[in-house]
Amino acid sequence: MLKNVFLKTLRDQRRSLLFWGIGLVALALYIALFYPTVRDMPQLSDFFQQSGQKDVFEAFLGGQLPDFSTPTGYLNVELYSLMLPLLMLVFAIGFGSGAIAGEEEKGTLDFLLANPIPRWQVVAEKFGVMVTALLVLSFVFLVGLVIGAVTVDMEISYLRLAQATFSTLLVALDFGMVALFLGCWRGNRGLCIGVSGGLAAVMYFLNSLAEMVDALKGYRIISPFYHHVTPNVLVNGLDPGHTLVLLGIVVVLFVASLPVFDRRDIAV
Amino acid sequence: MVTDQNTIIHTSMLTKFYGKYRGIEDVNLDVKRGEVFGYLGPNGAGKTTTIRTFMDYIRPTRGNATIFGFDSRRGSIETRRRIGYLPGELSIYGNLTGTELLRFAANLRQGVEWSYVTTLAQRLDCDLTRRLRTLSHGNRQKIGLIQAFMHKPELVILDEPTNGLDPLIQQEFYRLILETKSDGRTVFLSSHILPEVERVCDRVGIIRNGKLAAVETVETLKSRALRRLDIHFAQAVPIERFNTVPGVRNVTMHDNVLHCEVIGSLDACVKAAAKFEVVNIVSHEPSLEEIFLAYYSQDKSNA
Repeated sequence: MLKNVFLKTLRDQRRSLLFWGIGLVALALYIALFYPTVRDMPQLSDFFQQSGQKDVFEAFLGGQLPDFSTPTGYLNVELYSLMLPLLMLVFAIGFGSGAIAGEEEKGTLDFLLANPIPRWQVVAEKFGVMVTALLVLSFVFLVGLVIGAVTVDMEISYLRLAQATFSTLLVALDFGMVALFLGCWRGNRGLCIGVSGGLAAVMYFLNSLAEMVDALKGYRIISPFYHHVTPNVLVNGLDPGHTLVLLGIVVVLFVASLPVFDRRDIAV
Repeated sequence: MVTDQNTIIHTSMLTKFYGKYRGIEDVNLDVKRGEVFGYLGPNGAGKTTTIRTFMDYIRPTRGNATIFGFDSRRGSIETRRRIGYLPGELSIYGNLTGTELLRFAANLRQGVEWSYVTTLAQRLDCDLTRRLRTLSHGNRQKIGLIQAFMHKPELVILDEPTNGLDPLIQQEFYRLILETKSDGRTVFLSSHILPEVERVCDRVGIIRNGKLAAVETVETLKSRALRRLDIHFAQAVPIERFNTVPGVRNVTMHDNVLHCEVIGSLDACVKAAAKFEVVNIVSHEPSLEEIFLAYYSQDKSNA
């Protein structure tokens, strides 16, 4: 596990991945197992429908009609529109901030770069670990959710679950990549966490408030959450256009990181 | 530009500013193959800045550094392949054991014979089985030294290497340096401790306030070194007998103890003292600052 920077970094994440994995499986099971109870409370859906405040609820619940009577509506509200992206974001931003900036602050970047490795390769290997770790967590989460869905006989396509989880992964990767990019640019871990976390919050509300605030409607296309929520992946599957945007952000930030990191001085 | 085979490090007008703060300015330096070059200066003089440009961690504001004939920037992969480096502030992964860290380092480069790693560990009396975070500073420093020497690099760059090493290990470390030299490999060693530099180096570059003040052989440096002497006499002696001795200055007398400064050889001063009954002679190693002062005052008087 100490063959290269990729494996060493993955090894460093093993405990973190274990606990995140346990947490995500627990969340998936917990949400799935409570589905029958919530579904059988028809008054809940009626409440939202008849409240006269449908738009407001939609906005705060992530831009989806909170329809608890169908598995897709329930899972969108409880998991995919906010909770799962939020959790995966926290992991991705934490990792992205530690990848370069964290090693630089600890001084271990000097150790890595005393060896004949180009700087871009360090960034690429760290990026590889971020993608791998998010794939592992997504897979583990999905397994938990499918087990839960089978247990309560939820009528839902497992392919769609996988697709919605993948879309969530891309959102997390976008912000994780923002953190990694900032680390390549400045090497200050606090800055990475603060700015990418803040940006994620701004982007989330930009999309959800645009449901109510017309002035924001035109701008929400810059929010990854828009491209994640709007296509309603659980019902319709991945939309090529929206998916490409989410992927494109990752690619652009990754490519931009390399020269930015290559040009600057490494702090002592 | 000097690119002959025997110039290992060549810098030309090497300058680094951090914003408006000066790191180093116009450093011109040549280090030859097979020599042990000492880079002497007080903390904050620019030693680490110079070394970090060699390692391509930081980029010169002006000028350049060439290592093995490669530009420090463009040829950094090739130069780092052939360099062994010990940073001044060694930060290594605390969650790894010594063995794990050194395995990792060995995997990141080619040409490490593991048997040599264990030999080095034995010589430096270094426990490789403990997690690095549980080690004392000195023991961590040993791991750093092994890591710098383990691939038998053509050039070893050491930033304040003996920091925290106990005296016995320091001796072994000095032997390691001399072995490296006898292999025809090159050592660049920064230090703020004069005796250390005198002990192992062939030539010394003196850096002060970011500028290279002088490059001298160790012999020259010693001959110009300034020492403070306290000579305890059985009774008071006439100060004038010392004032006039060449190389002796700032002579004072308190309670039968004569204090003076001597530049270069102590011979004349000791012979002058021998005319009286001497109880004790105490010699103080000069501080770096005193060496600089001796340098500058001599340069002025020579001019």
